[in-house]
Order: sequence, then C-alpha cells, then structure tokens
Amino acid sequence: MITVNTREQAYQAGMTVRDLLDRNQFTFRHIIVRVNGEYVPEEQYDKAPVQDGDDVLVLHLMAGG
Amino acid sequence: MTDARYARYARNQVAITEEEQLLLGRKRVVIVGCGGLGGYALENLTRVGVGFIRVVDGDTFEESNLNRQLLCSTLNLDKPKVLAAQQRARAVNPLVVVEPVQQYLDEHNAFKLLQDCDLAIDALDSIPARFLLQRGAAEANIPLVHGAVAGWRGQVCLIRPGENLLDLLYPSQGAPRGEEQEEGCLAFTAALVGALQAAEAVRALLGRPGLSRELLVADLLTGEFTWIGLGG
Repeated sequence: MITVNTREQAYQAGMTVRDLLDRNQFTFRHIIVRVNGEYVPEEQYDKAPVQDGDDVLVLHLMAGG
Repeated sequence: MTDARYARYARNQVAITEEEQLLLGRKRVVIVGCGGLGGYALENLTRVGVGFIRVVDGDTFEESNLNRQLLCSTLNLDKPKVLAAQQRARAVNPLVVVEPVQQYLDEHNAFKLLQDCDLAIDALDSIPARFLLQRGAAEANIPLVHGAVAGWRGQVCLIRPGENLLDLLYPSQGAPRGEEQEEGCLAFTAALVGALQAAEAVRALLGRPGLSRELLVADLLTGEFTWIGLGG
C-alpha cells in the first residue's frame, strides 16, 4: 500500500511518480509532489520511483491572496 | 460585560461563551496582507470581537482588486489598503483597536510587527514574503494561520511555532507564484478562505482544538473539501 494525500492506495510494482499522477488524474498545471517529505521536481516525474509504503503528497501550488 | 458589549456580542453566544468573549477581547492579532484574504479575515475577526488587530500592507488599491477585495471600492482606488481596513473596522466595531501599518513585511520589521501579538494571519500573495512571515512568527513564538487561493481553490492550515509547514506547501522559498497566475482569484474563494482563517484563528486564540499538521483544501468548482495530513 501507499498513501496519497493521507488516503491509502494500492501499490503497483515499478510505479513512478508519473504513473501515480496519471492514475489519480492529477492534471493541474502547478503541483508540488513530495515522496516521504522529499520534493520531487517535475523533470523527475518519469523516473522517480514510488516504493511500497511511501507517503506521497500531491498539492496545488497556490499563493494568491 | 457592559450592556453595550453584551448587546453587540449577544448573537455570538452560546457558540462563544461569555468567558471566551472576554478572552477574545484581550487578544492581539496581526493580519499581514489586506487584499482578498486579509479583508475578509479582518471583517470576521472584527465582528467576533478580537481586542486588537494590527493590519500590515504597503499597497494601495487598484481596479484589478475590485473583483474580490472586500475593502476595495470605487471610492478608495489609489488609497492605502491599511487605512481602508482601519476605517471599515472602526465602522463595524469601535470596541476593536485597529493599528494600520503601511509597510510591506520584510526581514527588518517582521519580528517587531509580530512580537507583541498572540497570533498572525498569513494573507499575503507572495511566496518569499510568506516564508519571511513564517520565520517571524516562529521567532515571536506565535501561531500562524496560513491561507492561499487560486481560482476556485483555496487552502488553510495552522502553523505552530517551529512546524514550518510552508516548507511542505511550496517547493522553495524563492518559488514563483502559483496557479493563481493562470487561474486568477475569485471573490467567493477569498471570502471562504478568509473566513476559514478567522475561524481557525479564533479556535487557536480560545485554546480550542484546531487543524493539527493538516491542510484543508477547498475546491469550490467540485464542492470538495479535503483534509490532507502534513506528517509529524
């Protein structure tokens, strides 16, 4: 199992951050991805692995006031 | 409470007890940013009866603020935002002392503006300034209620001294602006998030349970409210 934004999801062997974003339909333009608290830059989405047990945060980058 | 205070705050009860009302009247809050979020946070904190509110913003109103900023009207374009804030609060509730500071938060004034307050509200629109505020609040040892909006979405969290939750919400302290660059900022999103910040502030000031290392994300397009744990 992995955790995505506090909710548990099934782990899929060999999955990358990109796979996780696609599966959850996270298509918004400015996002922050953190795996176990570590920031993953957009250019690494295709290669960055998601391991069984990982805690993933996917947040909108918003700063308007 | 005096008769005048009792009448003014009668409809706050019993959601807020008389003892809590008196406590709120002794609390000091600093709102940093008097735009969309700051205007609605100020409105709510003024009406609920926080005793002292310092409003900090170096900016003046312009036409592009009219779509969402409660304090902005066609009558005060080019005028300082903090003076409009003071006038509005005085008109609504003269029992609240409002101190306008027409300055932008920077590394030199942050601690001074925060150190004599019980809580700070992040109503800014710049990521670097938000980090300055987080650092200042930690140094002043006071909680910070973060809020941000972009289009139909908004987010709120309570940051206790040292938690540094902004470090999770933004990729770096020098990050450019977020989705609001493309999505804009809508009036009802700012109103909602400003109100959520005020409620969170009141809960914290009264020692009631509040958000704890979690981010409340509201999406007004889908109607979804999501609470996301931020670890710890």
